[in-house]
Amino acid sequence: MFDRPEPRPTPAELIRGLAVFAEPPTDEHSRIAEALGLESVPSSSEYSDLFLFQLYPYASVHLGPEGMMGGEARERVAGFWKALGYQPPAEPDHLAALLGLYATLAEAADGDRSEEAEAQRRLIRESRAALLYEHVSPWVFALLHRVGELAPRVYAEWAKLLEGVLKEEVSTARPNDRADTGAGAGQAVALPLHLRVAPELPDPRERGAADFVAGLLAPVRSGFLLTRADVARIASVCDVGLRAGERRYALEHLLAQDPPAVLRALAAEALRQSALHEERREWLGETASFFAKRAGHTASLLEELAVEEAAKEEMAT
Amino acid sequence: MSTDDLNKRVSAARSEVEARGETFYPGASRVHLAAFPPKERWNDWVELDSKSWPERVEKRYMLVPTTCFNCESACGLLAYVDRDTLQVRKFEGNPEHPGSRGRNCAKGPATLNQITDPDRILYPLRRAGARGEGKWERVSWDEALDDIAGRIRACLQEERHDQVMYHVGRPGEAGFTTRMLSAWGVDGHNSHTNVCSSGARAGYHWWMGMDRPSPDHANAKVIVLVSSHLETGHYFNPHAQRIIEGKKKGAKLVVLDTRLSNTATHADHWLSPYPGSEPAIFLAVASWLIRERRYDRDFVRRWWNWHEFMAEVHGEADASFERFEAVLAETYDGYTFEYAASESGIDEATLRAVAETISTAGTRLATHNWRSAGSGNLGGWQVARTLTLLNALLGALATEGGTFPNSWNKFSPRPPRLPHQHPRKWNDVLWPREYPLGLMEMSFLMPHLMKDQDAFVDVYFTRVYNPVWTNPDGFSWIEMLTDERRIGQHIAMTPTWNETAYFADYVLPMGHGSERHDITTYEQYDGQWIGFRQPVLRAARERLGEKVVDTRDVNPGEVWEENEFWIELTWRIDPDGSLGIREHFESLDRPGEKMTVDEYYGWMFENSVPGLPEAAAAEGIGPLEYMRRYGAFEVTSKVGKVYEQAVPDGELEDVRVDETGRVYSRAPVPPSPKAPGGTKIAPDDEGRRRVGVRVDGEIVKGWPTPTGKLEFWSRTLRDWGWPELAIPTYVKSHIHPDNLEPDQIPLISTFRVPVQIHTRSANAKWLDEIAHTNPLWIHPSDAGRLGVEKTGDLVRVETEIGHYVLKAWVTEGIRPGVVACSHHMGRWKPIGHEGQRIGMMTVALANQGSGWGLTRVAGTGPFESSDPDTMRVWWTDVGVHQNLTFPVHPDPVSGMHCWHQAVRVRRAEPGDAYGDVSVDTSKSRAVYEEWLEMTRPAHLHSPDGTRRPFWMLRPVRPERKAYDLPQAEGAGV
Repeated sequence: MFDRPEPRPTPAELIRGLAVFAEPPTDEHSRIAEALGLESVPSSSEYSDLFLFQLYPYASVHLGPEGMMGGEARERVAGFWKALGYQPPAEPDHLAALLGLYATLAEAADGDRSEEAEAQRRLIRESRAALLYEHVSPWVFALLHRVGELAPRVYAEWAKLLEGVLKEEVSTARPNDRADTGAGAGQAVALPLHLRVAPELPDPRERGAADFVAGLLAPVRSGFLLTRADVARIASVCDVGLRAGERRYALEHLLAQDPPAVLRALAAEALRQSALHEERREWLGETASFFAKRAGHTASLLEELAVEEAAKEEMAT
Repeated sequence: MSTDDLNKRVSAARSEVEARGETFYPGASRVHLAAFPPKERWNDWVELDSKSWPERVEKRYMLVPTTCFNCESACGLLAYVDRDTLQVRKFEGNPEHPGSRGRNCAKGPATLNQITDPDRILYPLRRAGARGEGKWERVSWDEALDDIAGRIRACLQEERHDQVMYHVGRPGEAGFTTRMLSAWGVDGHNSHTNVCSSGARAGYHWWMGMDRPSPDHANAKVIVLVSSHLETGHYFNPHAQRIIEGKKKGAKLVVLDTRLSNTATHADHWLSPYPGSEPAIFLAVASWLIRERRYDRDFVRRWWNWHEFMAEVHGEADASFERFEAVLAETYDGYTFEYAASESGIDEATLRAVAETISTAGTRLATHNWRSAGSGNLGGWQVARTLTLLNALLGALATEGGTFPNSWNKFSPRPPRLPHQHPRKWNDVLWPREYPLGLMEMSFLMPHLMKDQDAFVDVYFTRVYNPVWTNPDGFSWIEMLTDERRIGQHIAMTPTWNETAYFADYVLPMGHGSERHDITTYEQYDGQWIGFRQPVLRAARERLGEKVVDTRDVNPGEVWEENEFWIELTWRIDPDGSLGIREHFESLDRPGEKMTVDEYYGWMFENSVPGLPEAAAAEGIGPLEYMRRYGAFEVTSKVGKVYEQAVPDGELEDVRVDETGRVYSRAPVPPSPKAPGGTKIAPDDEGRRRVGVRVDGEIVKGWPTPTGKLEFWSRTLRDWGWPELAIPTYVKSHIHPDNLEPDQIPLISTFRVPVQIHTRSANAKWLDEIAHTNPLWIHPSDAGRLGVEKTGDLVRVETEIGHYVLKAWVTEGIRPGVVACSHHMGRWKPIGHEGQRIGMMTVALANQGSGWGLTRVAGTGPFESSDPDTMRVWWTDVGVHQNLTFPVHPDPVSGMHCWHQAVRVRRAEPGDAYGDVSVDTSKSRAVYEEWLEMTRPAHLHSPDGTRRPFWMLRPVRPERKAYDLPQAEGAGV
């Protein structure tokens, strides 16, 4: 009845151990770090800087149209937990919770090997693949890449390990296992639902600057991740004043000071990240393509706006 | 390093850390139970104080495990003991408890309400006026102990052992009290079981030799529930979570409940049968399984006592199995879906669909009946018997996903200094000859039996029991309790006031679940565990280095705990050891001194719980400290088919196998860490004990029944006068339509609300706020017919002995033609008496001759106390007390009180007021005598001159000789 070969067992324990590092450091981190072969343990301030100020480890931030925690994207993730019969935790879309859930499903799928349990195991495998495809892989690789760029060494090591493990998982999760993608046998797999319903980045010439800036900060709309560090770097590069505050506030002030330069710097960052997405296309497929296109479109729009702003300035002078 | 290697390394690190009892994964990534504090931090757990918000004020706690005492499930609790004040701030679940696994229902956390209740009883009290007058004086424990002990000593010295009685409601413990009564030599154990679960127990007992089911819900393919288990069933929380697990894994859920309970709303098949028709449904399913050959033939051939049935009933000792199958099919061919539909009111197609569903279960059929229909109907014990027939047909007994017998899924450790004596004198009040097969004591008939036998009980303990309120016919209980010719001294052992305590001579305050020691073990899945209830403040102080030997030193006021009380009382009964009782309560290390609670449990954990000493040693502590730290221990899991296990060679000595396959041996009983108990199977004629049965040439353990097989046909029932009921069959209930007058309607009174605790939650403010009333469920079609216009209208419900007045709740959630009113509500205190102010109404009691009345004078309301919340009581209604108006309905076979009532419902009459109760106890006496007529007493039907089959279960079993009827009365002699 089930004649396909057994997939490689998922390293659930490893995933669970790695997941811990997306949580605030505790005493337990040291022995997990030791087991993982990490050189050190992150400090609380390193954790805070990375996950509270730069890169937010929540699916809803990366996949929701608001680019913030909560909202419909989180509800969608919570619904996934419920569909599996779990009570969603307080933060169902936190990376640690999602990886913990993934590990739990992997353990269940690799558990009872009896023929009787095969149907149940197959369902679990499909759920696990769906979790990875729908709620984790669309955002986690971009996040981990940026952790590698921005974070202290211990987190960079961690991100590299986790990226490697999840990349292997993506490669072994077969399309047929992606039960809730709407794809039938032989059909192309549909984009994850978060992406299918994600609105595009609004054009400020039609929708105003406020919506545009909000859209820039929503990765699923803009296609790229704009961190506080990025905003600070752009301020420095463009030699404009950086005002303390949330990213949106700071960005609005940058744009008010030297619109063409800031728009061009933003465009460059979007283009750079578009290329990174493109590199993942080979093994991540349409999901990477989606983000590459969005970031590319954002870069084009920003360039276009920069040209217009520059023209306006020229006319004014 | 490869991913796999790294995975293995993390796994090894986790195993190593967890082996030390510590937590490896700290937070959200654990997924399961992520909210629980890691156990290595239980000694110093920090939380932010919610009441200080938005300030971030840290509170430091010791987390001390104990066991909930608010139902029989014995779920694990963690008390959060404030390290600064040494007071309990809250209770949450104990994730280390194998049964409840960190989860609790509302009743667990409400333990906090009970221990902080401003109305609780804090000191021993002695009545200062006439019994029941409501006048009390505070006395010392010494005075009370000396007085009570003196009376008991006199009873024992004067051979009046049957005048000492211990009447227990919620036992909540395994073995301490029965051990004590055995030491006293008193056949005075009186349980509440015949108003609770005897019906179901009987049905299971006569099949399996064990009297409770332990369904493996989590692994079932089909779950059949006769009751509302997901909200209030026995072992509600441990079972409910596993039922949901089973459902998550695809199990189909079949629920039989006349009401649309919360459980029914989760069912794949909700059957709302006419009450009492449940056995007809199960027999129709069984008949179909047999006709369609959808049963496990090999299991039936190997494990049913079909040989005996064919020989004894059909005179075919040499019948083949195929011949039996033909007879079996013929026996049940009348139970068609059509017949079951006509009895139950459920259409044939639905019943057939249910049968189809059940037939898909294979050996993964988990079924359960405990109270509900089994406790409601004449012949209700056939509910469990016919339900188990389905398991027995499918071979779904003691299988993964099937139903286990309780004894294989629980572990009662052997206590120290176990008494070997048995009471010499039979207690006729508890085990009257009219009910030789009654599963448990005929406790609820006590007022009538005392009259019949002109009996006197000199020392009567009620302990966590409130018969005046709980039992049917409560006014007859008041008559008995106030009659000093019947009750010499009544001692109510209760942490809180109740209706029975008002009629006591002493009220002794015993601790709540977090203020006492007990050991618990219950069948909740295919595994065996023990739980440890402990006074949490004592354990907390001991963690801080104090030595506590008397729990009164840490409990509020002079509240005690029972173990220490009983040890002290026993020493005063037998101060010099001359009665041979004291020795069972002497220190193990220091003979001549009192045994301490630490010694009692410490010895048990060290010597009688396999694996516990090793688990404790792995953490560098002793077994008692381990249990004080974690509160529970799983002895084993995946017990499986005990009946198929081979009898060890060491138990086979000078073996004889009789013609039916029963295997007898001269090998002595091997030592066991378990406390003795269970059925007593007779030895062979040469004194060999039975060790198993031979099945297909193999000697295996079999079942603890007389035949060693599953007893489809019961020789016991046949021999003791009930041949027509010896196989699973259908008995028409006393509320069957054939037995009702045209204007009568069945009343279901047994269902419960999930947030109340029988009669012990009047002082639980959170629970009272959630549920505090019990209206009459009535279907709109009946409401219209009876002139009830709307919800809230007052109606009068007339029973055989009186009536009560309550509000109607017009709802489609009840089957048309049936009304229902929940248990738990209608708590009261007479004017002038103390009592709970939150959960009790104040009433006026009136009595003239056999006429009794109860009138509600005032409901509850806000009041000033040490707890500011009592000023926030916004409700006044506490429900009505319906049980007072129910006569006794003892099932003539099982002895179970058949709770369902045939009533007349009408609009309240002018002058009727909410909560009114009116009863004539002479009528209740007449109903008792009417039901007594149905019995087949031992002195007329005993086949061997005994009072009761010796093999059957019995708490505090008297010596064998005491079973003999007086010589002239034995029918079979």
